Amino acid sequence: MSTVNEKITSEIREKVRELLASGHVAAFLGYTSGSVPMVMQPLIIRTPEDADRLEWNSFCVLNLANYLPALLKSFEPPRRPGDPPPEGPLPKVGVLATGCWSRNMVIQVQENQVDRDRVVVVGISSRGMVDRKKVLAAVGHRDVTAVYEYDHSLKVSGPGYEREINRWDVVRDNCRTCVHPDPVIFDHMIGDLKGERDVADRFRQVEDIEVLAPEDRWSWFSTEIASCIRCYACRNACPLCYCPTCFVDDSRPQWVGKSIDKADTAIFHILRAYHCAGRCTDCGSCESACPMGIKMRILTRKLQKDVLELYGAEAGMDMQSPPPLSTYKMDDPQDFILTESIKGEEK
Amino acid sequence: MKVLILDKAGFQDWLRALAGEFDIIGPAENTKGLLDWNKLEPGELPDFRPGLPKSSIKTFFFPQPETLLEFSARPGDDQAFRPHEPSEGRRARLLAGVRPCDARSVALNSMPYASDPYFLKNRENVAMVGLACTQGCSTCFCTWTGGSPVGSDGMDVMAYPLGDAFALEPVTGRGKDMLLKASSAREAAQEDLAALDALKASAPSSLPDAMDPASVLREKELMSLYNASFWQGLSESCLNCGTCTFLCPTCYCFDIQDETLKGKGRRIRYWDSCMFPLFTLHASGHNPRGEKVKRVRNRFMHKLKYFPDRFGPLSCVGCGRCVRDCPVNIDIRQVMKDLLAI
Amino acid sequence: MNDISKSKGAWEPKIIAFLCNWCSYAGADLAGVSRYQYPPSIRIVRVPCSGRVSPNLILDALRSGADGVLVSGCHPGDCHYISGNYYARRRFALLKRFLEFVGVEPDRVNFTWISASEGEQFAQVATEVTERVRKLGPATHLLKEF
Repeated sequence: MSTVNEKITSEIREKVRELLASGHVAAFLGYTSGSVPMVMQPLIIRTPEDADRLEWNSFCVLNLANYLPALLKSFEPPRRPGDPPPEGPLPKVGVLATGCWSRNMVIQVQENQVDRDRVVVVGISSRGMVDRKKVLAAVGHRDVTAVYEYDHSLKVSGPGYEREINRWDVVRDNCRTCVHPDPVIFDHMIGDLKGERDVADRFRQVEDIEVLAPEDRWSWFSTEIASCIRCYACRNACPLCYCPTCFVDDSRPQWVGKSIDKADTAIFHILRAYHCAGRCTDCGSCESACPMGIKMRILTRKLQKDVLELYGAEAGMDMQSPPPLSTYKMDDPQDFILTESIKGEEK
Repeated sequence: MKVLILDKAGFQDWLRALAGEFDIIGPAENTKGLLDWNKLEPGELPDFRPGLPKSSIKTFFFPQPETLLEFSARPGDDQAFRPHEPSEGRRARLLAGVRPCDARSVALNSMPYASDPYFLKNRENVAMVGLACTQGCSTCFCTWTGGSPVGSDGMDVMAYPLGDAFALEPVTGRGKDMLLKASSAREAAQEDLAALDALKASAPSSLPDAMDPASVLREKELMSLYNASFWQGLSESCLNCGTCTFLCPTCYCFDIQDETLKGKGRRIRYWDSCMFPLFTLHASGHNPRGEKVKRVRNRFMHKLKYFPDRFGPLSCVGCGRCVRDCPVNIDIRQVMKDLLAI
Repeated sequence: MNDISKSKGAWEPKIIAFLCNWCSYAGADLAGVSRYQYPPSIRIVRVPCSGRVSPNLILDALRSGADGVLVSGCHPGDCHYISGNYYARRRFALLKRFLEFVGVEPDRVNFTWISASEGEQFAQVATEVTERVRKLGPATHLLKEF
């Protein structure tokens, strides 16, 4: 009997083969497995024969939307700023999308990075992706040579040991608290939609830190990022980060220094997270990509919580709602404004 | 040279004795439970479990950042903007529990940095006590790159685990001096030496087959490798983050910048990465490696072709950090195979 | 003089104030013209609109040695550019909560609305912010040092 993911894999292959063979899409963006267990490789294929290279499992942790704008651009004739848009229809590309990835695609459309008409979205309702670091911790950071995935457990083995781990125990934090596993846009669906998930304490990780005293929060934050090597994997894995020149590369003025320095690293993480405010879908790519195990996702999660609390908005849920920071209401909360709070105290 | 035998307690005493002369640093669990370079308390042993510290050893020789000079940035000062040597002097450091691949990376980096005063000064200031590998990891491939799990290139003293004890072999004169402080050591007996020879002979066999890509790649025509078709596909998966280059012990590219803050200034040298968009960006705005595919190609061509053409060996020690931690599983072993197949 | 600089109470906070050109900067000007006293710890940077103040600027101030930051724009409805301060309000609300989340003290970074006619209010706010920051002491968390 095949597992859920094996079934999804074969359905993906079939659908992609059909899309490529019919010429409906010029390329398809999916995942393949590579040389290291638990690390999948994003893969772009261009022929129906290659469809068999595609694979789906619980380790497809990086958000494929990240690759989409560049892939679309690769099919456009070269253009300088100010040149008119190319004439005639441009080739389409296909892409896999879970709930959060599809929401990022909505944001990319809203922010004019992606043309919806050129993307064929093959949707998959996410079962939650596994955190490789949790698995490594569960086996005491020993070498892992093979991982076999069942529907509800993982068989992990390495030199001199074999362990069976409950899958849900090692699912990523963002997936465990995800309420929107279904893609919000899709042209084809693999498997069924599952509907919203009911999660009791979605923002628990954030609340646990909010209750701390300022000094303890600072000590949590500075310890968390202390091992940062500034490789920018978190930034580059993020589908929201597409600025041609990132603020870390600005030199006049230079917002953050180039090397490892406590203040610079802190400011990098604050600004990187803040740039995602109102746009982050909590896909967890940043945290999954980090080689040092820094839980920077909690930062964007905090912003998400506040955007939801203050403006009742969640990023990328539909094409019509404007991104929360690109709009306003006359009566947005403003208790934080000093003159207002002084007024309040006087009353 | 004399081989000494030390048990764990003796090893501890030895490190304690060396703590007077050195700050001792070695693999230990960091706050996230990961093995990384940490300062060890006097007498604390490095973590001997198989595997490498998370981050690169190069930081001790090619610090992130290195202050090259300092200056006053107060326009009123009569010494304003006159550079002087950085004031801070550092205590000598001892890296304990260094794996052979890491130490070999220092030896390799000494080639391009042969006349770099900063690197040389750090090299002089940092001693290394090695630890032979008796168990390879699935991402290790030191034997492909000219290394060995029991190699002592770059070390001052080499330690080989023999049961519960260690055989210690001095490699340099400094190592010899350091071993004088191992008060509880005994000289190796005949059977110890036999066990040591057996260990040295058997350790490499736990790793994938040795090959010698450097000599093959040196012979290959540069442009045929440069124009290989697989670079495009490889770069399509790449995120262009700096994980591989920053974890890599043999990536040694740097950039230099002046920083001024509150009337003080310094010139720092810090790690650069060929993955980053600013790498090789000219002042004119032109960048010969403006696209991702060119940057990805440069990383591998530098390690596997340009460096061997210039210095002989590959600029890779097979530690496998990039393989282990690349978020998209780009594997230099596969790239090597692809290049060798051309 | 020398004694004061050596005594413990000599530290005076440095506060960077980003004031919008149309309302708050004029308000500060009015405070001066009207001879309202406010502490000299405030260093004013004039910006076209509160909507111009990106978090980069605020963090750069803290990184470069400011002990506190004050950002002030026109009252809602009064923006010279119609809606700049409305957008800014959303950004600042999130930023303030976010900076507090990572451990920056709540009183370090302050936001307010001051109109061109509110010279007295500007002096009050400047005094209030200075007092709050003075209580916190020098800012260290995001300060870059070498």
